[in-house]
Parts: sequence; structure tokens; C-alpha cells
Amino acid sequence: MSTGNPSYTNPKPCKHLADYKLRHGLTGYRSLQKLFKTTPNGRTSVEKPNTTMPRCNSCNGFQGRLYFCLICSTVSCSDHTLLHNQSENGHDVAVDMERAELYCCVCCDQVYDPDFDKAVMSKHIMGIPRDKNGDESIGERLVKRRRLGSGVVEEELVDLSKSKQLVSMRDRRAKSCYPLGLRGLTNLGSTCFMNSVLQALLHAPPFRNYFLSDGHNRETCRKRSVDRLCLPCDIDAIFSAVFSGDRAPYSPAQFLYSWWQYSANLANYEQQDAHEFFISVLDGIHEKESKLSNRNRDNGDCLCIAHKVFSGQLRSDVTCMTCGFTSTTDEPCVDISLDLDTNNFSPKNIANKPIKSNENSSISTLLGCLDLFTRQEKLGSDQKLHCRNCQEMRDSVKQMSIKRLPLVLCLHIKRFEHSPVRRMSRKIDRHLHFPFSLDMTPYLSSSIVRNRFGNRIFAFEGDESDISTEFEIFAVVTHSGTLESGHYVTYLRLSDQWYKCDDAWITEVDEGLVRASQCYVMFYVQKMLYHKANEDLSCLPISPRRDTFLPIAGCC
Amino acid sequence: MSVPNEDNMTSHSQLSSHFLGDLLDSIIVDVASECHRIARLGLDRNLEEEEEELRLSAQARVRVADPSNSGEANSKYVVDIFGQTHPPVANEIFECMNCGRSIMAGRFAPHLEKCMGKGRKARPKATRSSTAAQNRYSRGSPVSTYSAYSNSTSTNRLSNGTSGAAGEEYSNGTFPEP
Repeated sequence: MSTGNPSYTNPKPCKHLADYKLRHGLTGYRSLQKLFKTTPNGRTSVEKPNTTMPRCNSCNGFQGRLYFCLICSTVSCSDHTLLHNQSENGHDVAVDMERAELYCCVCCDQVYDPDFDKAVMSKHIMGIPRDKNGDESIGERLVKRRRLGSGVVEEELVDLSKSKQLVSMRDRRAKSCYPLGLRGLTNLGSTCFMNSVLQALLHAPPFRNYFLSDGHNRETCRKRSVDRLCLPCDIDAIFSAVFSGDRAPYSPAQFLYSWWQYSANLANYEQQDAHEFFISVLDGIHEKESKLSNRNRDNGDCLCIAHKVFSGQLRSDVTCMTCGFTSTTDEPCVDISLDLDTNNFSPKNIANKPIKSNENSSISTLLGCLDLFTRQEKLGSDQKLHCRNCQEMRDSVKQMSIKRLPLVLCLHIKRFEHSPVRRMSRKIDRHLHFPFSLDMTPYLSSSIVRNRFGNRIFAFEGDESDISTEFEIFAVVTHSGTLESGHYVTYLRLSDQWYKCDDAWITEVDEGLVRASQCYVMFYVQKMLYHKANEDLSCLPISPRRDTFLPIAGCC
Repeated sequence: MSVPNEDNMTSHSQLSSHFLGDLLDSIIVDVASECHRIARLGLDRNLEEEEEELRLSAQARVRVADPSNSGEANSKYVVDIFGQTHPPVANEIFECMNCGRSIMAGRFAPHLEKCMGKGRKARPKATRSSTAAQNRYSRGSPVSTYSAYSNSTSTNRLSNGTSGAAGEEYSNGTFPEP
């Protein structure tokens, strides 16, 4: 595991800043602190005492940017900073009064110093009210980080190569050049929603490893549990069948039967939604496993395989626009549902008639959706919330971020738009670009909070986390067709080769086809687990790409 | 009388242009300062990588859309990678675990539905939204960015039928604002 590294780099100070620090240390910053003015939305500025209007010492101007000399407190406008610097020896470093940023008059550039940023943040922390319990709503918290990352799961899960089940598989492996666990699933009558998700689950590395290393033993389960209905048992059966080496399509009939019994209200012949099915399956696993095991940690972290693999934490911050008090709520989640990052408005000309907008000019991207998810949302004046500090209903700003990343990140795109007002529903077919490698750093709570305060160099809560933020995609559930009648297909990425899983049909495809597909639910796994899984799956050289229209002569 | 008015108008509009110019300058420097910090601290995203990704994506879409490109894009399979072929409706026969009758695989689901006595009687169940936090403050607003996901019976589903993910509340976090 890599040691926690900060998600920012400490920039090297210029010669002049370094000199200043040597000579004056932190005294300049400390006295400047009194003049810092902070706002509830995270901005900092420098104000002269008695709120006198700052004017340039040389020209008496007040327009444009003004710089406050750190040594003698002289204010200069941008035209005269050099003049001041030349007339006073050593007065090299000033502060941009508008934004509280350090400025080197000799380099004529903005410069950075962690100590300065710390002084700025301290002022913010002092200014932001604490709640009754005395907890700070932001700030440097040295929390003992629970190592919930892959470290914990890896220790507990058995190394795949030691699993007994695989001994026989190794022999069969010689007969096929294709990765283990690649097997079609029969469509039992509009059950592609189920097949598509099952394929993703079958190849989610930690989930797969758990079942293949006998994490849920059916014999033991039958003996221990009175209730014969057990989704984990049925899933275990699917794993056994799919990884058995038999390549004829498998019919998950027993699983369908069990699942319908479990989710009584969902059973319906008409087509279902794949994402809902996914949530339902995780629920089913959780329910059963938490009954079986008595292990329940006090801190509430569930140890069922569904949660160990998929559960992360979302953070919701609500900030009062008046006083800056932020109320934080953390909630567990097994996936993130994202709205497409389209413009919801259409441009209008002066006469308020809609202009034809160029649809091709903007493309939706997954990063764009994540940006949208974590942006600051001003809650309307009809949505005022009670601020604990002000003791009144206030305008607020809400912002989501990710407090803790799961091992496997499931991203769901809300392609369904439902308007209760117009009683209409429609599917959004807009293409979404998604990367194969995903770095979730900008969406972590620490990054989001840092950004809120102007990206100051400061150890925000969460920075010390060891958990990797780099993910690799391994499964994409795509949808084609309409709301009422559509078809789900899953693309799997095994050892960097993409396979199309269209119910019973497994075919090799080019990554371009996957890029061009209409993604609906995407499954990303932590990079290290992805590479480890590829090692586990490695077999004899994978066959070179063949034209799928030719029958395959016996390989190997 | 008209002349002084004209002069006033001119100086007024001059003044407002001047202020607008000042405001714009201030905003531009603000953004520049912000971006400078982001770039220096290494917080910016790798734009080249992103552009490359978009380029690959656009290329791929063009290739797939090209009608002369047969093969993968078509759903007409002849054999799968294992050399097997499959009928449109699966014809494997097995026994229904509910009633014991022999059913063809491709018709198993509709059979099971009738067999289990299920149908369109399903009631919408209160859903446990995995993103309840998102919507706590947006309940009631019609089609907003965070449109009601947890309460409506058929939000964010791509096909018809009844609704609601099964499940229970996992939330062990703190409670929402009063």
C-alpha cells in the first residue's frame, strides 16, 4: 500500500519569499491575520483597519489590484509595486488584498507558502462558529483513520490460488485460451436486466474472490439457517457454474426464483431496471449475511460481503450563507447516481425567443457528471434551512462529496427523467464519455472542502487517508432501445481485453465499441485490485483477435 | 436644456462602462489567480489525457456509426468466442421449481410469474435510496437537478413495470436538519 501522500504538491518558494521567511519568520503573517476578513463562502481578503479605503501610496489610486507590503504595510497598486520594491530594499513580498494571496514584487508572480495559508485558515476556523458540542465544522482534525481500504479485505480474503475449487479449474484452463469465468447467461424471458448485472458481479474482483474462496459455504448455510431462502447461496451456485470451465450458457433460473421470492413486490414479467436489480441483490445479501453472522462492530460498519465491497460514504455539507456554519452529514452508499451534465436551459436571444443551440459543441463526460454531483448548490429561498448558529431560517448552500471510497465503485447514470408535473417519463439517450481509468481525488471530501476555501495548503480532514483513489473500469452495463422496450448488454474488461456479454452470447470486441456504447451503470475497481485480478486470471496466451464470423478451430 | 441632458447621459453611460470594465477586470484576475494556484499546487486535472480520451471516444463513435463497418456493431452473431451458436429464444428445458412442470428456458420467467401468482399487483414499496443525502433538501421540487429519486415510484428506471428497490435503511449516520 502506498503511504498517504497529500493530493497537492508543496511548491518551492522563490528566492525572495525564502529570504523573507528567513528574516521575518511568521511575525508578518501573524500581524496580518488581524486584518484578514473572511466570508461565509470561504473567501479571504485583507482590509485596512477602520475599513478605510486602501489607496496606492505612490499614486493615490484605488482602482485595480492593490498589494499590501508584508514588511511595512504600504499599499501599492499593480503599477507601483516595483517602485515600492526598488525604493525600499528587501520589501519583496506583498499580499493581494482582494484575495489574500502572496505576491512577489520581484518575480511579478503569485507565490505560495503553507505557513501563510495556515494563517488564513486559522482565521477562517476562528471565524466559523462551533456548534454546541464544541466541534469545529471544518478544520484540521487528526482523526484516527480506520483502515477500511483494501488492506482489510485483502487480509481476510483468501488468495485465489489457494482455493480448492480452482485446482480442477487449472486442468481445464489448458483447454481454453479464454479467461476464467467467461460464460454466457441464458435470457429467461426479458431477464437481460438480471444477466447484465450478474456478469458485472461475477467479475468484481473482491466479490468474486470471496465466493470462489468459499466465503459463503452452502452446506454450512443450510445447516445454520432455518430460512431456506438465501440469495448468497444462489449466487455461490452461479459462481461455481460460471467458473467451472463449462462454456455453454448457464441459466440462472434458481436465482431468479429466489430473487423473486425475496423482492416480492418487484416480481413482474415486464422489463425491469438493471440498477434497481443491483441494489436489490446487495440488499438481499446483506439481509442474509447479517442474520448469519453476529459480528457487528460498534461503529456500524457492516461486514457483509456486499458492503465490504461496494459500500462507501457520501458527505453532505450544508453551509449557512449568513454565518458560514457548516452542518455535515455522512451517509453510507453502495453506489452513486449521477445526473447527466447537460445544460438544462436553452439560450435565448434578447427577445426571449430560443436560439438553436449547437448540440455538438458540448459532450457529456463522466467527470462532468461528477463535477455536477459535487458542485455547490444554492438552495432556493423556498428551501431555507434552520441554522443552528443563527437560530433562524437561512439561505444555504449544499455540497456533496465522497467521504470514503469503496473497493468497487458503482456509478449509475440517471438516464430516466421523470416529471410528476407533466406525468411524463423519458429516457435520455445522450452519449456519455467515460474513462477507463478514473482518479477520484477531486471528488473526495478533503478536496472539495479545500476547494471551498480557495485551495489553501492545509491538512484538511481526510488527507491522511491511505486509500487509493485510482480506479480501473472492469464492467459497463449498457442500455439500448426505448424506455418500454430496451436491451441490456454488459461489456467486461478482463486483462485489458473487452468482451461483450449479450445474454448467452460472449464475443470479443474492440475497446472502441465500448467507448461508443451508451453506458448506464459503470463498475470501477481500485487499480491495485484490478491488476491483481488480471494476474489471477492469466492463462495461456490469449488468442489473437479473430473474426467472429469464422468458427474457431480448436485453440491450444 | 437638451444639451446638458445629453452630456449627462454620455457621462453616465461612460461611468457605467467604466464600472463594468472594473468589475470584469476584477473577475478575470480572480479566475487567473485561482487557476494559477490550482496549477502550481498540482491540483489541476491532466487536460491532455482528457482531450485524448475525448478524441478516442469521438473516433470510436464515428467508426461505429459508419454503416460500412460491419461486424461488432451488428447484433447478428454467428458464433461466440467459444464457437457456439445460440437460438434467439433459449430452448433448453428444465423443471420449474415451483410447480414441477417442464418449461423452456426462454419462457421460464413469464411462466414463473404466473406460477408464483405474481402479476401486476405489486405495490410500490418505500425505497431506500442509496443517495438519500442528495435529495433530502430537494424533496418536493419537480424536475430539479436532483430530481426526486427516493420517493417516486418509477424514477430512474429504464423500463416499465412496478417499482421500488427492496431493502432497508442502512443509514447509521446523523439525522437531517430539523
